[in-house]
Amino acid sequence: MITLTHFLVVSACIFSIGLYTVLAKRNAIMILVGIELMINAAILNFVAFGRYDKINYSGQVFALFAIVLAAASVAVGLAIILNVYRHYKTINPDQITDLRD
Amino acid sequence: MEELLNISPIHASILVVLLPFVAFLIQAIRGKKSNSGNISLIAITLSTLLSGIFVFAEVWNYLPMHSTYDWFRIGEKTFTIGILLNNLTVLMLFIVCIVALPVHIYSRAYMKGDPGLHRYWMYLSLFCFAMLGLCISKNILVSYIFWELVGFASYLLIGFWFTKESAVQANKKAFLINRIGDLGFLIGIAAVFTSFGTLDLVELFGKEGLIYSEFDKDSGLMTLAGLGFFLGAMAKSAQFPLHIWLPDAMEGPTSVSSLIHAATMVAAGVFLLCTIFPLFNDTVLLLITIIGTITATLAAYFAAGQYDIKRVLAFSTISQLGYMMAAVGIGAWDAALFHLATHAFFKCLLFLCAGAVIHEIAHAKTIAGLDFDPQDLRNMGGLRKYMPKTFVLMSIASLALAGFPLTSGFLSKDAIVIATFEWAFHKGGAYFIVPILLVLVSIITAFYIGRLIFKAFMGESRLPEPAESNIHEAPKQMLYPMYFLAICSLFFVFSINPISYHQAGILSGFSVNYTFKEIHSLHLFIPLTLTATALISWIIGYRWYVLNKYPLNAESGWIKAETNQLGINDFINNTIVKVTLIISRASVWLDKYIVEGLVNSASKGTLYLSKIATLLDRHLVDGFVMAIRNLTIGLSRVAAWWDKHIVDGIVNTIAGLAYYLGHLLRWVQNGRIQNYLGFAFTIVLIGILYLILR
Repeated sequence: MITLTHFLVVSACIFSIGLYTVLAKRNAIMILVGIELMINAAILNFVAFGRYDKINYSGQVFALFAIVLAAASVAVGLAIILNVYRHYKTINPDQITDLRD
Repeated sequence: MEELLNISPIHASILVVLLPFVAFLIQAIRGKKSNSGNISLIAITLSTLLSGIFVFAEVWNYLPMHSTYDWFRIGEKTFTIGILLNNLTVLMLFIVCIVALPVHIYSRAYMKGDPGLHRYWMYLSLFCFAMLGLCISKNILVSYIFWELVGFASYLLIGFWFTKESAVQANKKAFLINRIGDLGFLIGIAAVFTSFGTLDLVELFGKEGLIYSEFDKDSGLMTLAGLGFFLGAMAKSAQFPLHIWLPDAMEGPTSVSSLIHAATMVAAGVFLLCTIFPLFNDTVLLLITIIGTITATLAAYFAAGQYDIKRVLAFSTISQLGYMMAAVGIGAWDAALFHLATHAFFKCLLFLCAGAVIHEIAHAKTIAGLDFDPQDLRNMGGLRKYMPKTFVLMSIASLALAGFPLTSGFLSKDAIVIATFEWAFHKGGAYFIVPILLVLVSIITAFYIGRLIFKAFMGESRLPEPAESNIHEAPKQMLYPMYFLAICSLFFVFSINPISYHQAGILSGFSVNYTFKEIHSLHLFIPLTLTATALISWIIGYRWYVLNKYPLNAESGWIKAETNQLGINDFINNTIVKVTLIISRASVWLDKYIVEGLVNSASKGTLYLSKIATLLDRHLVDGFVMAIRNLTIGLSRVAAWWDKHIVDGIVNTIAGLAYYLGHLLRWVQNGRIQNYLGFAFTIVLIGILYLILR
C-alpha cells in the first residue's frame, strides 16, 4: 500500500529538482519553473498530511489556497522577468550582477 | 547696564589712556586709508566722556585712589607700574582731554586735503596717549617714559611738513633741547632712587610719605634732585634759557601748536613740579622763582617785537609759563595749576583763531596766485570786516590773556600776582623785584596782545588787492570748537564770583599751606592796578597801530633786540654749537689716529689668535667630532635593521593577513542572485545538519 512516507519521498524529490533548477539554470523562466516545482512539492505535503484531518479538510483547503497564490506569484514573476528583459536585454541571471558592491 | 555704569575710576582712567593708543595702532596699520581722522576723533571723544564722567566726577574732592602692579625686579628692589588718581592728576587728565577734543574737531577742517593726513592723525593719537599716560602715572620712571614719548610725538608733529627745511631744523632743535631737560629728569630720578629706594609717588609724597619722615631736605643730593627735575621741567615748559625751541616749533601745523605747544605738553613741566612739589628745598624754589620771572619778563618783551602771528603767541605762552613757574617757586602751586587750567583754554583758543586767520589768508593767497607770508602781521589788517566771528572769539581770548575782569585769566593771574606780593612782603627787601617784574609783564602782555589784535583785525587792510576779496569767515567745523573754548575762557566755568578768585573750584580742590600771610588790601588794589594798566596799554596800542601815530623808530636798538630775541639763538650758535663742532672734530681726529691704531693692532692680535685656534680646531676638535660621527653611524645602522625587519615585518604581516581575508570574502559578494540563494541554502543546510547531529 502507499503510505505517507511515499508521498513525502516524492515531495522531497520534486523539491530537490526545483531547488536544483532555481540554483543552476541560466534562464529566468526556468528558475520560475523551479520555484513552481518547489511550491508544488509543498502542496503535495499539504494534501498528504490532510488525511489526518478528516473533519475540516484543512490540508486540502490550504492546498487550494497555495495553488491560487502560486498562480498569482507566477504572474508577478513573469512580469518582473519581462521588465528585466526590457532593461538588460537578457534574462540570464549570471549576467545581471548589479547587486555586487 | 548697571554694571556698565559702575566702572571703577581706575579702570576708566586706564581706558582713557589706552583708547588713543588703540586709535594710533589702528591707523598705523591701516596706513594711507585712514585719513578722515574718525578713529582718532572717536577715541578722544570716548576718552573725554570717560575722564569727565567716570574719573573726574568720581575722584575730584573725594578720596584719592591708586593701584599698583609689579613690573620688574632688580636685586632687592621691585619696580612698580601704577595709576594714581588724586585731585591734581584727574584735573590734568580732564584738561588734556577737553582741550584735545576741540582741537581734533578743528583739525578735520584745518588739515583737510593735506597729503600726509593719515600721519597727522596717527601722531596726534600717539601724543594724546603719551600725554594722558603722563598725567595719571604713579611711578616716576613710567612718567619719564611717557615724558619721552610726549617729546617724541611733539618731534614728529613739529616736523610734520618734513619737506620744509625750516620744519626739519625746528623739530631737531626741539628734540635736542628737550634731551637736555630729559637728562635733568633722569638725574632727578636717580637722586630720588638713591635717597629713598623707591620711585612710587604715593610712597614718596603720600600722606605718610617718605619725604615727610626724618629726612633732610637741604642735603646736597636733594638739591641735585630738585635741580634735575626742574631742568626737565625747564626744557619741556620752555623756560629761559631753554625756551628757544618753542618759537621755532611753530613750524608745525597750527592745530598742533594749539594742543601741544600751548595747552598740554608745555604745561607738563609745571604739572611735574606740582606733582613732586614737597621734594624742593628753599634753594631750588628760589631758583625756580628767579628763572620763572626772568622767563616771563624776557618772553613778554620778545613777544612785543615779533611780526609772525604764531611767534607772538609762542612767546606769550613762554611768558605765561614763566608766571606759573614763579608761582610754583613761591609755593603757591595751586595758583600755578589754576593758571595752567585757564591758560590751556584761552591760549588754545588764541592759537585756533590764529590758525583760522592763517588758513583763510593762505587760502586766499592760493586762489589769487600771489606769494606772501600768510603768518606775517604786516600783511594783515582790517580782517574784522571779513571774519567778524573770529575777531570776537580772538578778542575774548585776548582779554583773558591780558587778565581783564569777567574772564578766567583775570582770576588766575590775580591769584599768582597777589600771592607773589604776599610772598615778597613776607621776605622783604630785594624779593620785591619778582612781583614788580610780574606786574610789568602783565602790562606788556596786555600791550602785545592788543598789538596783535589791532594789527591783524583793525585799521586798513594791508593785504594785496586780489587776495583781499577772497577772505571770508572760517568754516563751521573750525568755529564750533572755538565757541566752546571761548565759553571756557569766561569766569563762570571756574568760579561763581567774577571778581575774587577765592571761590574758584580748582583752588579749593588743593589745600596748600602758604608760608606767608594773606594781606587783604592787596586783593583790592592789585586787580584794579592790573586792569587799569592793561587799559592804558591798549589805548597806547590803539594810537600807535590803528591811528598810525607810531612814535618809535623801528630801527632803534631796542626794537631790533626784541625781534632778534636779544640774539640768544645766535649766541647759542656761536658758542655751544661751535664748541660742540670743535670737540667733535677733535674726537674724529682721536678716533682716526689713536682709536683706530689701537683697533688695528688689536685686530692683528686677534688674527694671530684665530690662526692658532684654527689649528687646534682642525686636529683636536675635528678628530673628536669624527669619532662621535662614526659611532653615531654604527648605532643608526643597527637601529635601521631593527626597524626594517622586525617593526616593519609585524606591520606587513598584519596588513597582508587582512588583505587576504578581505580578498577571500570579496568573492562571495559577486552580485549573482543564484549564488546568494545557494549560499543561503548551504547555510540553512549546515544549520539543519548541526541541529540533527547535535
